[in-house]
Amino acid sequence: MTYAKPVPRINADNRAFWEGCRQHELKFQQCAKCSQVRWPPSDLCPQCHSTDTDWLSSKGFGTVYTFAVYHAAFHPGFKADVPYTVAVVALDEGPRLLTNIVGCPPDQVRCDMPVEVTWQEVDEGITLPKFRPISNDPASAYEPWP
Amino acid sequence: MSSDSMMQMLSELSGNDAVFGHFGALGGYALAARRAMHELGTGPETWKKIAVGQRKWANLNPQAMMHDKPLTETDYDQAKWVVEPFRLFDNCLITDGGRAVIVTSLERARDLKQQPAVIMGLGQHHPSTAIAQSDWMAGPTGARQAGKTAFAMAGITPDDVDACQIYDCFTYTVEITLQDYGFFQPGEGRDWLEGGTIEPGGRMPVNTSGGQLSEAYCMGLTPIAEGAMQIMDRCGERQLGPATGTKPPEIILCSDNGGILQSHSSVLLRRM
Repeated sequence: MTYAKPVPRINADNRAFWEGCRQHELKFQQCAKCSQVRWPPSDLCPQCHSTDTDWLSSKGFGTVYTFAVYHAAFHPGFKADVPYTVAVVALDEGPRLLTNIVGCPPDQVRCDMPVEVTWQEVDEGITLPKFRPISNDPASAYEPWP
Repeated sequence: MSSDSMMQMLSELSGNDAVFGHFGALGGYALAARRAMHELGTGPETWKKIAVGQRKWANLNPQAMMHDKPLTETDYDQAKWVVEPFRLFDNCLITDGGRAVIVTSLERARDLKQQPAVIMGLGQHHPSTAIAQSDWMAGPTGARQAGKTAFAMAGITPDDVDACQIYDCFTYTVEITLQDYGFFQPGEGRDWLEGGTIEPGGRMPVNTSGGQLSEAYCMGLTPIAEGAMQIMDRCGERQLGPATGTKPPEIILCSDNGGILQSHSSVLLRRM
C-alpha cells in the first residue's frame, strides 16, 4: 500500500535536514554570524540575514511548547489517525520543530512535557522525526543538555 | 469534506507542515490558544462567553448568517471538537460576500448626506513571519504595539472607547486582542467577560454585527464596516445606544489581524 499522506517537498534549503532524518540525525541550523539557532531550514538567518550557516545535530530531546489535537481530517491520508496530536517541540538546543506527538494518547499530552525523538520510516526514502514522552526506563539515553 | 482543489490549496499553503497533518489557520491558532491556556489559565470557559455574546448581537442583525439561530453555553459545550482546544463555535464562518468602506477627506465628508465616521488613530505591528518559531505564542501579539500607536495618535486611552469591533477568526483571537489592547490583565479575560460585558446591554459591546463568528466572514472588512456603520447610526435593531442598553458610540476601536497572530492593524473611529 502506498503512503497516502503528503511527503516533504525537498529543496536546496532543507535537503540536509531530510537527509539527516534518513540517518536518524536531527539537524538544525545555526547562524555563523549571530549564533541564532533556527528551524525550519532556510538560506538566510531570519535574525541578521546572513547566509553563513552551520549545521548542528540535536540530541533529540526537548519539551512540548504547545500542541493541538486534530479531531477532523483535512486530508484523506489522516482520516484513520484522528484524533492525532500536532505539536511544537522546543529542542533542548533551542530551535522549535513542528512535529507529531506519538506513543501518548492526545488527552495526556501537556505543555512543557519532556519528549524525545522517534523515527518513522515512510515510503520514498523519507524518514519523519516524531516525538514521544521520555520513558522512565533508566536505560533511556536521556542526558539533559548542559 | 473539502473539494480536491480546496485540499490541494491547504496542502500547498501548509508546506511541509502538511507532512505532520498540520493545515491552515485553524491548526495554527489552536497551537497559540493551547499555549495561552498553559501560561494564562484561559480556555473554553472564557471563549464560550465570546461565542455566545457575539451570537446575541447576530440575533439582532437580519443580515447575519446566524440571525435565526440562538446559541447557549450548553450548545457550545456540546459542540464537537474540530482542532482541540477549539470546538465548532470557536471558529468563524465561511462566507461568500463583500463589504466596502469609502475613505475620503474630512473636508469632502462634511458635505455628504450621511454623517461620516472619522479616523482618529491608526497603528500596525507585525511581530513575526514564523509563529511556530516564536516564544510569544501566548502574547503579546502585534495588537499590543499597534494599539499603543493608534491610541497615541488619537490622544485617548482604552477607557475612552465605547465599543470594539475585533477581528475574530477564532474566539481566542478576540480574547488575546482585547488583552493586548489593555482592556484587562493577562489571564483575566474570563472575569472581564463575566456578566455579559460584550453583549447587548453590556458595558463594552464587542462585534455588534455578530462578527465573523456569527454574522459573516468578510475578512478585516467585517469589523471595520460595522464600526463605521455604528458611528453612522445605521445599524437598526442592533444600534448601540439606548435601543440596546449600551453607551452611544462616540469612539469605536476596530482591529484586523493576519497570518497566525503575525500581523495586526488597529483603527480608532469617532463621531464627527
